[in-house]
Amino acid sequence: MWKKIFDWLDERLGLNDLYNTLLDRPEPRGNWWNTLGSASLFLFVLQGLTGIFLTIYYTPSPDHAYDSIQYIMEGVAFGWLIRGIHHWGASLMVLVVFIHMLRVFVTASYKYPRELTWFIGIGLLLATIGMGFTGYLLPWNQRSYWATTVGTQIAGTAPLIGEFILKALRGGPDLSALTLQRFFSAHIWIIPAILMALIGIHLYLIIKHGESHFPKKDE
Amino acid sequence: MNEEIKQKIKERYEQELNKGERFWPDSIFKDVIVSLGIFIVLVLLATFIGVANEPKADPSDTSYLPRPEWYFLFLFKFLALYGQIPVIDKIEWLATVLVPSLGIALLTFLPLLDKSPYRHYSRRIFALTVMGTIVLDMVLLTIMASLPVPPDADELAVSTTLQTIGGLWIPAALLTILVVIYAFKRSLYWESTRRNVPLWVTVAGAAMMVAMTAAVSIRAAAYPKPEEAEVPSTLVDQIVAGQDLYSVQCVECHGDDGSVAVIEGVEGLEGEKITPINSRDVLYTITDGAMYEVIAYGRPNAGMPPFGKTYGGELSRSEIDYIILFMRYTWDDRFEAPVIPELFPPLAEGEVPSYDVHIAPIVKRYCVSCHRAGKENNDYLMTSYEEILTTGENVEKNIIAGDMNSYLLQVIQGHEIVNEKGEVIIGVMPPKTKLKANVVDAFIRWIMNGMPKTAEDAAALSVMPEATPAP
Repeated sequence: MWKKIFDWLDERLGLNDLYNTLLDRPEPRGNWWNTLGSASLFLFVLQGLTGIFLTIYYTPSPDHAYDSIQYIMEGVAFGWLIRGIHHWGASLMVLVVFIHMLRVFVTASYKYPRELTWFIGIGLLLATIGMGFTGYLLPWNQRSYWATTVGTQIAGTAPLIGEFILKALRGGPDLSALTLQRFFSAHIWIIPAILMALIGIHLYLIIKHGESHFPKKDE
Repeated sequence: MNEEIKQKIKERYEQELNKGERFWPDSIFKDVIVSLGIFIVLVLLATFIGVANEPKADPSDTSYLPRPEWYFLFLFKFLALYGQIPVIDKIEWLATVLVPSLGIALLTFLPLLDKSPYRHYSRRIFALTVMGTIVLDMVLLTIMASLPVPPDADELAVSTTLQTIGGLWIPAALLTILVVIYAFKRSLYWESTRRNVPLWVTVAGAAMMVAMTAAVSIRAAAYPKPEEAEVPSTLVDQIVAGQDLYSVQCVECHGDDGSVAVIEGVEGLEGEKITPINSRDVLYTITDGAMYEVIAYGRPNAGMPPFGKTYGGELSRSEIDYIILFMRYTWDDRFEAPVIPELFPPLAEGEVPSYDVHIAPIVKRYCVSCHRAGKENNDYLMTSYEEILTTGENVEKNIIAGDMNSYLLQVIQGHEIVNEKGEVIIGVMPPKTKLKANVVDAFIRWIMNGMPKTAEDAAALSVMPEATPAP
């Protein structure tokens, strides 16, 4: 019975082909440092899931953002857990992605034929930091408000285009409802979309070239 | 890179694959264990540490010291130290834009810059020492940024100098040396590790950076810890915070139950007619938002001064919100109040109250409204333990340990203090409410037992009856 269902699906989906190309791949002898990439992916998925839950109650407006988070923490069943995981997961994701980058650097895995994987990886690192920066404002508390004020100010010191960057980030000369709205939009739509696209290419390249091996003395 | 080398790399990789493992299940197994471990760590962090509560954003409060998320702290510190460099510190964008952009650009184009086919550490000393120096500096700058602020200008100068040397000059010098060696005597990077000059230079530089950071950290350990203002997070805490603030800021005019319709005994507003703020008229028709504006901006034409920091008052956004919560849950009959704990823990027979546990919350609730700077109070201030005991025109007679005739005990029990000429010098306190019996009792016990400050001092004075075993 199961065999029949599997065969039917396999004929149409190519399950066996998928298994052979994606899962049953040969790999160089592994090392625990090699798990950091998949750990980053896991954290991304976890941040996505907890983030989606948070948007059910979160309101991106200066009048309600703070109170909606208070409600998530106090009023919603397990809201504290979801937000706690999202909060700590953000820090951990930045850390894990960064250490992953260092690992690739130390083992020189960015060299031929994996240069493109490295470019995409830097994009992923920057996008992750961007997620941290935009997400930090959303609770709309003193810490986040002033950190973002200073952060955008720093971006605004660029010569010539500084003024434009500052206004583009803030949606005006000062932090306002517009800033919160666009940070929220960047945090839940724009940057995640970029991340997902980059992750897709990154994974394709890894499968295409295989995981790199730890270099030996003669390499 | 020519085809021959490419071919060699591919062959080498094939060899490794043959000696290797399968993605499923070998690698996946490790991945799952690590991800699961991360998940457990996150759940533990969320459960046992949680997310620190912060007050609501307040654009008018420019005194707030901005602090970015921890992974930006190194950049924050770098900018602060950069500001110490003479001359070029005026060109801000060098540090804010050029250096970070350059860093990102170098990192991004790394595969194009480093085209050598060698992968083993011994052949990549230049890349590894440079990266190691930068990463170490990032870690050390993060540590420096998370230390408490020096207490005075001299210490600040010393600390900043040490930080600038350890976090900026040494790493800069080290990187310069490494690059110069690479540019002019590249062979040094190729010789066997025992004679590896750059490696030892890096170790020495790194040790100096760590030593500087350690010195700064040790100095900082002696600094006074910044007081962490506790932010009320639960509804009950917020209501209580609101009541305390109301008791200080609002009670003079509106009374402790909000029912005052004609103001009495307030300089400048004597006889002013106001709407009782505990009435349905007010509570049902004025939204939280409107109420916020009234408290923040005041009603200057009706005599109410502004209370929000934006308009020159003392209250932050969160504090005004707490007051509104207190009003709603106390007077608005559409709100069901949660159980509010007692102002102070009830006293047992023979127990002596302490300032920290008992008297401080009472004073905050009933006295500080008038007994603080800028109010008419015979210069008697009550915002701290020291002030309560050492200020005021009648300081020597006000609180006398073990004396029931202490002025303070007299006035809170309804006896005015009259001088020789028969003039009232201190009226009954508090002027418009009568303290509850247990509050008066707490004051009497406190003064009769010598005004202990801490809970330990009070416990030492307490004569608790021995617990008699039940028959």
